[in-house]
Amino acid sequence: MEFLAPTTWQDALAAKAEYPDAVPVAGGTDVMVGINSGRLRPSALLDLGRVTDLTDWGLDGGYLRLGAAVPYRRIIEELKDKAPGLGMAARTVGSPQIRNRGTIGGNLGTGSPAGDCHPPLLVCDAVIELASVRGVRRIPVTEFFLGPKRTAVAPDELIAAVLVPPADGPQQFAKVGTRNAMVIAVCSFALALTPERGWVRAAIGSAGPVPTRAYTAEQFLTEALQQDGFASRSGRGDVALPESVVRRFGELVAAAASPIDDVRGTAAYRRHALSVLAQRTLRWAWESYRGRGDRCT
Amino acid sequence: MTTRMIGEPIPRREDPRLVTGQGRYLDDLGAGALQVAFVRSPHAHARIVDIDVTDALDVDGLVAIYTYEDLAAADEAGSSHLSEPLPLLIPHPDLTHPRTAYPLARDEVNHVGEPVVMVVATDRYVAEDVCDRIRVNYEVLPAVVGLDAAIEATHLVHPDIPGNIGAHMVQERGDARAAIAAAPHRLELDLEIERSASMPMEGRGVYARWDADDRTLRVYTSTQAATSVRAAIAAKLAVPIDRVEVIAPDVGGGFGVKVVHPWPEEVLIPWAAMRLGREVKWTEDRREHFISSAHERGQKQKVRVGFDDDGRLLGMEFQVWHDHGAYTPYGLIVPIITTTQVLGPYKPGAYRGEFWSLYTNTVIVTPYRGAGRPQGCFAMERTMDAIADYLGLDRTVVRERNFIQPEEMPYDHGLVFQDGRGLVYDSGNYPALLDKLKALVGWDSFAEYAEQARAEGRRVGIGLACYVEGTGVGPYEGAHVRVETTGEVVVATGLTTQGQGHQTMLAQIVADELGVPVERVTVTTGDTRRFKYAVGTFASRTAVMSGNAAALAARKVRAKALRIASEALEVDPSDLEIVDGVVRVRGVPSSPGAKTEIPLSTVAVLSNPLRYAFDAEAARATQFAVGGSSEEPPVAEDDEPGLEAVDYYSPPRSTFAAGMHAAIVETDPETAEIKVLRYCVVHDCGNLINPRIVEGQIHGGVAQGVGGALYERMVYDSAGQLLNASFMDFLMPYASEVPTVETDHLQTPSPLNPLGVKGAGEAGVIPAAAVFASAISDAEGFAITRMPISPSELFELRERFAAGEIPPLRSRSGHISGEGRFVRAKEDSR
Repeated sequence: MEFLAPTTWQDALAAKAEYPDAVPVAGGTDVMVGINSGRLRPSALLDLGRVTDLTDWGLDGGYLRLGAAVPYRRIIEELKDKAPGLGMAARTVGSPQIRNRGTIGGNLGTGSPAGDCHPPLLVCDAVIELASVRGVRRIPVTEFFLGPKRTAVAPDELIAAVLVPPADGPQQFAKVGTRNAMVIAVCSFALALTPERGWVRAAIGSAGPVPTRAYTAEQFLTEALQQDGFASRSGRGDVALPESVVRRFGELVAAAASPIDDVRGTAAYRRHALSVLAQRTLRWAWESYRGRGDRCT
Repeated sequence: MTTRMIGEPIPRREDPRLVTGQGRYLDDLGAGALQVAFVRSPHAHARIVDIDVTDALDVDGLVAIYTYEDLAAADEAGSSHLSEPLPLLIPHPDLTHPRTAYPLARDEVNHVGEPVVMVVATDRYVAEDVCDRIRVNYEVLPAVVGLDAAIEATHLVHPDIPGNIGAHMVQERGDARAAIAAAPHRLELDLEIERSASMPMEGRGVYARWDADDRTLRVYTSTQAATSVRAAIAAKLAVPIDRVEVIAPDVGGGFGVKVVHPWPEEVLIPWAAMRLGREVKWTEDRREHFISSAHERGQKQKVRVGFDDDGRLLGMEFQVWHDHGAYTPYGLIVPIITTTQVLGPYKPGAYRGEFWSLYTNTVIVTPYRGAGRPQGCFAMERTMDAIADYLGLDRTVVRERNFIQPEEMPYDHGLVFQDGRGLVYDSGNYPALLDKLKALVGWDSFAEYAEQARAEGRRVGIGLACYVEGTGVGPYEGAHVRVETTGEVVVATGLTTQGQGHQTMLAQIVADELGVPVERVTVTTGDTRRFKYAVGTFASRTAVMSGNAAALAARKVRAKALRIASEALEVDPSDLEIVDGVVRVRGVPSSPGAKTEIPLSTVAVLSNPLRYAFDAEAARATQFAVGGSSEEPPVAEDDEPGLEAVDYYSPPRSTFAAGMHAAIVETDPETAEIKVLRYCVVHDCGNLINPRIVEGQIHGGVAQGVGGALYERMVYDSAGQLLNASFMDFLMPYASEVPTVETDHLQTPSPLNPLGVKGAGEAGVIPAAAVFASAISDAEGFAITRMPISPSELFELRERFAAGEIPPLRSRSGHISGEGRFVRAKEDSR
């Protein structure tokens, strides 16, 4: 097994062009598990640990630009206000040690349907920046996941950065795992609400071949909010969401999933749990929106 | 006055070293050794057609590749026995079809992970690369996976073992079937427990060095049975046993899996070291541990009981289908324990225990902490709950009515236990334990709490389980105690330590017996250079076996010290006492240097008549200093030099500890997640040597019990692949899942041994699955019959319950009668 250890981004891209089969490794929290268990036997490993510019984040146009090797710990500590959904998801990843090592780019690169960062990235319309010696391209995260552990990254490309629009409304993330901590999600759910603009984003993880948006549920809730005039009455602290709306939203989220039975849970349980998570996060998000309204008055 | 040490919760003296990373585990040793990796079977059942190593031979750093053929050739050339199957450690007349593995697979592999080829290289990376280049061609055979497939026996694991049945065993007292048939009420329960595993933090590992000049072999291995590994290596490799040293260094947990021996690696690594004349080491990785060490727990059970109107058990029939995996090196210990310890603190009028121990194409099954007891406890305690529900009685009342009473001790069940001895309880007070448990958990006031919680939309439940645990099984352990001329006391016992605090516990015993400060006592375990006769660490036996052996050896040393001191002080030995390491005349105030006292260090000097003085202290024992009669030999005829003694403790039978646990759980009405609100333990292991260590053992056991009840399982697919062979998917409880354990003790001394102690090592884990099943049933309103249980499974049970497929319980905590829940439990139709 070749071990490639470039020290600059240009060298890394050149190495990837030369060894398209090389598996990039940053924190190693996924790749090394695969290698240790014998599931993964790449011809080469491309270590990105020496490419320091991948670990920075900053503002880029209207976006927060997170280098691919920004670890979960820094997302939690430095970005929890700017990208609250992502911060919540990062907090549920592994243990402190894993959150120190594991990176957002690694999470994307593995492309697991259970990746914790994926639903929050979907609900905030994140953009993934891919680079190769051929150049740089940006694709919406909705076009990134192609299948279980398959992504839109071309063989000669590396994930350079993730671009996240700063939150302009409440965001939530929740997951069900068999254990309280350090557990792969049985299912996960993210929600972003911007009632002022009357739109809703909802995304499901770990309950289908790819993490996915729940478009029908989004549309239902968006319309329900508009119909009932919630959007126009923004900031009113006294408006509670009707239970029927919350319940229907949960049902539609569950219907959007295409889960399977596996080691962690059955398809039926996943659907059920998703509807529970959708209802809970919607109540929390609405509460926090109402809370903000209260503070304004 | 020396503080009495036995009974003192002193901190574990091992901890500062271990928690600051100063431990020396197997992989910390042998930095320069050659390293080994194995090609292991990727198939659950297959014939080996061909092994092709051509591609591997030119890898830089490769030292050797071995297959079964090399073992056979070595046997032929020398007198080793490596081409024979590994030993059947515990034969039993009912184990009619035993089978053990070859160190390297011969023609057939019988589980994923079975070793096929051994590669020795300059480092592990190279060895793994070589493994990748070795091509093994297999002819895949149908795999027998799971108990249903084993029972069905459409396919056989071993073609010459009909029905996949390794053993069928029945033990009966009275005519249980007749008693059940004649009973006023009958119930039948079908129960199931899934596989789990010991899963120590440190996997297995072996490091061997052969000294060709000295012709000695030293083997470090992460084992629970150093002396037995030594005997096995000597026999397998044909090295005189006095040329073999086996040392268990710091061992990062065992929990049973490391009592199995010799593991293939434990004979192969020393063999390679001798053959190559180089140091050789193998450290198991986690995936290897999952697929090539051992599992436990997997059983299906059927219980039939007959009982009277008060809930008294008139007859009980207990059938167990036990999955023992591909081979049976450890015999029938686990199912024997299940079918005897199922009885717990109860005395059914008649009992019939029967088991089938079955082959499957999965990892072998050998004892894991609790060793069959958790399954037995689960069966009996689910039965007690079922009877209580059937009769509409409180669950504690039914138990009380079936308890063996203190005045009935010793109580003979009329069955044979795992040690081949009678299942005779030596002592215990079960009604007192239950009273303590009810007080601790607040049993009688729970209904009120549950009702409140229910009014808030919360689901809570309470459960309990009782067990009796045969501990301290024989045949024996020994100990060596020596007082050095510095006054330091060194103790050695042959069994091994995996983090239990043995050094502290044994030091407390010896300190008390000898009258020395505990700080002056140092204990060595698991080193055959220091103590060659031992059995091993398992079955909660160290405190009972080595503890009593150390006490007896220390008593011998004390007697000798008093005798020597009495001669030096010219007083009768009975007038002497040893306090703080000084032998002194009883009742005389201490005055150093006076003729009324003498330090134990000086006694040690005097015990060894010397010709040569190597320091001032030693000079006191030289020939012109000691005086005495010139007619007597300096060492009397019946005496030996040195202030030391060896003694052994060998009990007539096991001593039986007991305990009762209660848990309060909350289940999420929506997600079916299960939260432990409280966990209470009352525990009776006889006299407590160190309450802190006992509580630590209980906490650790409860943690593993929580794992076994809520998280851990081995998920095999139908082809025999273990799908969750990593810590990502095999979930063990973390601190975030382990409840605070509230503990209370009862101390009913064992009449069987000098210290009056019983074992405590496994206690915590035994009733956990039963307790959680009881509490979750109470919260949900239907009986849980299969453990472990995940949120997904609980959700499914709720769906089936809602669909009327599962009968409701008649009564639940906090539910007032008359809610329409009075549906008859399933009655035996016979």
